[in-house]
Amino acid sequence: MCWSSPARPSGGSYCARTGDDVNIDAAIVGIGTSAFGRGLTESQLALAAQAFKSALADAGLERSDVDGLSVHLGWPLGPDYDRIAEAFGLEIRYVNQAWLHGRFVTSALQHAMLAVSAGLADVVACVTAVSFTRERGFLGGPGDVEGNREEGGTHGEAPPYGLTAPAGGAAIAMQRYMHLYGATSAQLAAVPIAMRNHACRNPRAIMQEPLTLTAHQAARMVVDPLRLFDCCLISDGAAVVLVARTARARDLRQKPVRVIGMQGTRSGRDEFIFAPRSLGINQQSARRSADRQIDFEVFAQAGLSRKDVQGFYTYDASSPLVLFALERFGYCAAGEAAAWVQGGRIELGGALPVNTSGGLLSEAHVAGWNSICEMVRQLRGTAGASQIANAAVLQWGTAWGDSVMLAA
Amino acid sequence: MTSYRKPRPRIGPDNAPFWQGCRAHRLMLPTCGACGKPHLPPAPVCPFCFCDDIVWQEASGRGHISTFTIVHKAWFPAFRDETPYNVVQVELDEGPRLTSRIVGAGDQKIAIGQRVEVVFTDIDEQLTLHGFRIVAA
Repeated sequence: MCWSSPARPSGGSYCARTGDDVNIDAAIVGIGTSAFGRGLTESQLALAAQAFKSALADAGLERSDVDGLSVHLGWPLGPDYDRIAEAFGLEIRYVNQAWLHGRFVTSALQHAMLAVSAGLADVVACVTAVSFTRERGFLGGPGDVEGNREEGGTHGEAPPYGLTAPAGGAAIAMQRYMHLYGATSAQLAAVPIAMRNHACRNPRAIMQEPLTLTAHQAARMVVDPLRLFDCCLISDGAAVVLVARTARARDLRQKPVRVIGMQGTRSGRDEFIFAPRSLGINQQSARRSADRQIDFEVFAQAGLSRKDVQGFYTYDASSPLVLFALERFGYCAAGEAAAWVQGGRIELGGALPVNTSGGLLSEAHVAGWNSICEMVRQLRGTAGASQIANAAVLQWGTAWGDSVMLAA
Repeated sequence: MTSYRKPRPRIGPDNAPFWQGCRAHRLMLPTCGACGKPHLPPAPVCPFCFCDDIVWQEASGRGHISTFTIVHKAWFPAFRDETPYNVVQVELDEGPRLTSRIVGAGDQKIAIGQRVEVVFTDIDEQLTLHGFRIVAA
């Protein structure tokens, strides 16, 4: 049997598409983090162990219950799956490990959800443990394999011309976006200011001082039009998210957080990782096309509309990515996001709070998993000073078009 | 061999004719023998019709700036002395876009829409980089 509505009282699977018999039956049953910081002295594996133990305790599971691993960022930024299994004494029967790039946060979570749905594992641990400060030379520098992919991939890097860091890809997209729609750096500032306001309510967050528009505008330019506070933190930390079937989840310590819809990464000539479709970057067409239903599958699967979503969570490696993600999922029309985010609309208490723990811009750069942990706390009702009242449905969605809808 | 310390393009079977063209100061585009459309980055098949018949044709070398950035941070030590420097994407008149740089801009402000024309800079015995200069519209 398969359901399509999240309104049912307790757990169960949903159909990935009406008429198909693919049942996604997965819930997040435990979360754990290490401390977040800059210049942490522990190894990535040690940070992972802290988060792993914390997640097991949170879920009420034993180490021996974990039989799957989904690793987002491996060596050299983080530990690979085989080192994790070896070092933690795990017996693993399902593994997914993505290539070393932030874009795969969603697919790492989706692989875990698909694996438990298909019975390939009972409990999958999504493990992300990064030491960006220790491996700083790797980021956009001479050791950055991503930046030296043949022709740079759809991420914008062109090492021979000195465009070598992810922020560069976001910068060329934002520059064109500003040209087309008249958006300004001062409008863009609303994104990092909102993230900072959220971080100030969150004792785990690295950044604890409010950010003013004046300070944003006075900060040094990094890669035009992105200023210092438009670029995420370079930080260290680990997060572990445990995924199991809903039936298993009901027997565990925490109120399960169910997946009620998802959609995968978009790719093709009309896509650029750091831009909406058809912005005219790389080989994208330069004409914004009408919305396609296929890009909103996550809502149809969940049987929900945007107005049902109480908070939006996204990979905010730089400020423009928040604007582009909001446009991707239709919260505002093409070119409107810079104006739409003004006036506290994406802050707690606003119409659509975004990244309520402070995101990569102000909590920590744990590759988005810090925000996924925050979604779980929100849906359990344990988000403390950051709590969205009666949070029941939250969306994770990225600028590259993938998404997971979570429900209490 | 060379004292050039910046990253060099990774040259492989698919893009070698492009970089060989730069050596000869010619901007070459892989073009489909069936549908006639040029594409970038160089691929072994036509991305539009999936045909294997790729022929290399010289581009006009003209286009316009579709986007750009000014890089202030030195991610690579070898670029440190040049910061801030520009990186542009040029939409060639033939259609494909190319990431490159504006050379000899002087006091001219780089802007989206400006017309540009290809220029070549010989780096050493193996490498010639393409760049563009701003021309009157």
